[in-house]
Amino acid sequence: MEFTLLAAAAIAGAAAYAMLWWEAKHGNAARCAGNLWEIALVSTVAGIFIGRIVAMLVDGVNPIAHPMDVILVRSGVSTVGASVGAAAVFALQARRNTITMADGISAAALAGLAGWHAGCVVRGSCLGTASDLPWAIAQEGSTVTRHPVGIYAALLLAFAAILVAWWKAYRRPPAGSPAAVAIIAAAGTRLATEPFQPSISGGPVWFYASGLALGVGLLLWSVLQRRNS
Amino acid sequence: MFRIVASVLVIALLAAACSSSEPVEGIEPPAPVTSEEMQRLLADSTDPVVVNVWASWCTPCRSEAPLIGRAATEYADDVLFIGLDVRDTPEGATAFIAEFFPDAPITHLSDASGQIPTDLGGSRGVPLTFFYRAGGDLSYLHFGVIDERTLALQVDELVNG
Repeated sequence: MEFTLLAAAAIAGAAAYAMLWWEAKHGNAARCAGNLWEIALVSTVAGIFIGRIVAMLVDGVNPIAHPMDVILVRSGVSTVGASVGAAAVFALQARRNTITMADGISAAALAGLAGWHAGCVVRGSCLGTASDLPWAIAQEGSTVTRHPVGIYAALLLAFAAILVAWWKAYRRPPAGSPAAVAIIAAAGTRLATEPFQPSISGGPVWFYASGLALGVGLLLWSVLQRRNS
Repeated sequence: MFRIVASVLVIALLAAACSSSEPVEGIEPPAPVTSEEMQRLLADSTDPVVVNVWASWCTPCRSEAPLIGRAATEYADDVLFIGLDVRDTPEGATAFIAEFFPDAPITHLSDASGQIPTDLGGSRGVPLTFFYRAGGDLSYLHFGVIDERTLALQVDELVNG
């Protein structure tokens, strides 16, 4: 069963790499796709483990006393911990070029997230809350049709990834704005799909809303910076 | 780099100091159950039942236990949660319950031979999670560590299906 998680991660990685490869041929602002790939990979892996440790702490499990639990990511990874951790590790690696590198990775990050959500087909975890819409589907042996919420998220993120990649390739967006749009798309997608997600304790809606506000703020800042220069 | 390593070590020591392995008083060891008794319990249940198979020596069981405890509390009115401890010692089982399920509304049973999960259609590996409709029909069987989305979806299938 654990291999399905790896398969979903492989789909995410392939989608992100394919986007970076395409962008490298169409004038990625960062102009260093290989370097971006390495930074993104390190940030993602670090983010997953930071998110896992945060989830363990929230559940009252001491990661020092039970270090083997850290690798069991299927048991839960804190979205807040993983996102903040990955962003911090990314900024630590990019240092003074954080904005440029964030713009460079923005479309690939969205493509990777889209791939991760599309991986729900492999994981068997696409289904959400009950629905009688024409495209709702039922799991095997059940009569309850449900929203294919994983597919909704994958489609929204894939659309955003293509939009950002096209914008970067064929227009001259202000520095920081592709990253801002990526944050808006990622947070907005989670905010929009959360009501359709089956959940025990509810997702961190406050965090998605904060991400959306952060993205909008960053977008405004980048546009004003362009105007003032 | 030295500062980062030193900071991590200090945080690790503080975290370790905050941990506790003291068992909570008043926790009873799981009651022994036979395969026939278990199957009768499932067949007679008027509520859906989730059977989570665990053992105190099983690291993956530890990692999913907090989620199982939260789900049992959340769905206490609609679903009966049974924790089936297999091939374990009473001391280990009691410490595990005290650590992860001190207040969770879970009926804990024990199967020293570890045969019941196999008789129910599962395997000898742990963890396992069985989802039964009222009356004992198996709705879904999850091998290995279960994640929140799968658990929530399968419980929703039991409650609304």
